[in-house]
Amino acid sequence: MAQRSTKSAFSPWEVVALELFKTPEQTQASQWRRSWRTATTWIVGKEASERQAKQESELRKLPEVALSHWVPPIDWAPASHAFGKVTEDNTDAPLVLFISPPHGGHGAVVSRWAQQQGVNCIPPPTLKELTEGCLEWVEHCSHQRQWAIPTLERHFLRHTQGLQGVRELLERALSGRLGQGVIGCDSWTYAYLQHAVGLEGVPVVTLQALEGEQLAYYFAQLADSSVYPTVYSSRTGQSILADASNDTADSERSYKELQRLAAHCRGHLGIAWHYWRERLREPADNGDKGRPRQRSQEKSQGKSQGKSQGKSQGKSQGKSKELWLLDALAEAELALDTGDVPTLLLHALLIHGGLEDQALQYVLPFSNHEALNARLALARQGILNCHQGRWQVDPLSYSGVRQLLESRRYLVDPL
Amino acid sequence: MDDQKQYARLFNEFDSQTLVILGVILASTVLLIIASQRGLSWLANRLHGQVRFRVFALVPLTRLLILITALAIAVPIVIEPSLRNMVTLLGALGLAIGFALKDYVSSLIAGVVSAVELPYRPGDWVKIEDTYGEVKHVGMRTVEILTPDDDLVAVPHLKLWDSAIYNANNGGTSLQCVASFYLHPEHEAGWVRTALRDVALTSAYLKFDKPIIVVAEEKPWGTHYRIRAFPVDPRQQFLFITDLTVRGKQVLSAAGVTPALLPPDAALDSREAAHQ
Repeated sequence: MAQRSTKSAFSPWEVVALELFKTPEQTQASQWRRSWRTATTWIVGKEASERQAKQESELRKLPEVALSHWVPPIDWAPASHAFGKVTEDNTDAPLVLFISPPHGGHGAVVSRWAQQQGVNCIPPPTLKELTEGCLEWVEHCSHQRQWAIPTLERHFLRHTQGLQGVRELLERALSGRLGQGVIGCDSWTYAYLQHAVGLEGVPVVTLQALEGEQLAYYFAQLADSSVYPTVYSSRTGQSILADASNDTADSERSYKELQRLAAHCRGHLGIAWHYWRERLREPADNGDKGRPRQRSQEKSQGKSQGKSQGKSQGKSQGKSKELWLLDALAEAELALDTGDVPTLLLHALLIHGGLEDQALQYVLPFSNHEALNARLALARQGILNCHQGRWQVDPLSYSGVRQLLESRRYLVDPL
Repeated sequence: MDDQKQYARLFNEFDSQTLVILGVILASTVLLIIASQRGLSWLANRLHGQVRFRVFALVPLTRLLILITALAIAVPIVIEPSLRNMVTLLGALGLAIGFALKDYVSSLIAGVVSAVELPYRPGDWVKIEDTYGEVKHVGMRTVEILTPDDDLVAVPHLKLWDSAIYNANNGGTSLQCVASFYLHPEHEAGWVRTALRDVALTSAYLKFDKPIIVVAEEKPWGTHYRIRAFPVDPRQQFLFITDLTVRGKQVLSAAGVTPALLPPDAALDSREAAHQ
């Protein structure tokens, strides 16, 4: 990775054209590792599949209060600001699309942008309107100089009637009859609509993928307080965060663990944040037991790493708190022999950015009862979660689900 | 006496040790073939996409390699592999095959050809004469095809020489499906075409990197529409066609498009056309 001089160089808010999006280094390796891990877990069991420097049983979850302090929600305002600059460069385009993967914040970014610009957001149609092919909601975009749709995935249904509204909207918008529109869209919805409706020629932008180093700086600056606890990897026992107080990048420092996380999340901050929040632990005995073991391990590390880590560790000795990050790959996994029904359900949920139970019958080729059964089974495995009444793929399962769908040659998103 | 000596020289002398070795070779060959066939089929059935077909393709090839290796080890033990001996042996074998086992051996040879040329391999959807189904096993003499009606049909490889082999996916994951609709001539054809395309586009089984084509053909009794599209996995073909048919009928019926009522002779024509 090229050396960078200032902290601003590690900003995670670079908005780029879709063609310039590049997954982090080692993404392919991460996919192979995940396949290998699934196979070894299947053969030798979960516990024995990979050795850990710190066992999960020695750690405990952080209380909610501590979590909200150390891992506050992502503030999408800088992304919205960066997106605003892109829209200024595209004033002649009748439509600009901002896409992000599930949990990637496109809704928040476009909503905030619309709020800043005083632009009207078009509310999504109801399920009934979608299944009846109602076009009234499209009329809301008429007679406006500018309009915005923060979450396009809520404006369509993979159903013969459910496509009519979005098709009408995009046809009118692209012909310039609706003024200038800005649309936030899930990357899976975008992939589907590109085939079903056609979006050629529309400027499409997204947040550039993050490398491990950028994640290290982002997480180090995440908490409100100036000093973040030292965070160790439960897999390697090494400190994993960057020194946020240091203004210059340390070229000797490597961020293997966070690079591994970045590759696993395909560089998506929203998903990496969920991992950070869900996999962060504190020692079960308030931190005294794990430290000597970790230090002895760090002594045996290479000189180049030890030199740079020594600096940050020296500072961290004064801190009373230490945290551990559990292995990112140890999340809810899909079995190799996952059947057609759950696979089709997962694909439908991703394409729609999540769905209510009532909508499943319109988009799946089996009975409502079968769909609900499959949904329930996946929810119990922790692969789905419910957010505002819509079932969606859990962020910690997203990478595994995406890889499964890709291996079975289903349509996947471009990010 | 001299002739007897010559024949005795054609075959090596057999003692108990030789017989044990031949027995071990035979048993190992059978065991290896069974293990490789079952192991590879087990593995392939747990895989998806192109890898599944690659592993399936290894099944007959592995068996062929094991057989050739076993023969290469066993033949020099049984006979002295000189030119004269081989000519004599092959001549005798040729006579036996020519008169008594012609079809059987022809199937075996066609089996070897099928392992090399791969006109079908396990996982392929093929039609040989009147049999259509998924190739489940490519044996030495026959290919086993499982039909959609769950009948396992053993077709001798012999058919390779003089029958057309229709392979719907040819070792890949792309298999075109056709859903037919027979409509009354009074309808708006442009709308029907778009609606049927949307039916395919909204199917959960659709493979997106392949084209969707709606074909309309005018008949004396009405219009015959066909949606030609590909499912994600060839094994989903019947579910895919059913999904297209059911939802297509719903959409057309809701729009007031009525189906054609075919006279009996036209029904026969359309059945033939559907097979084309």
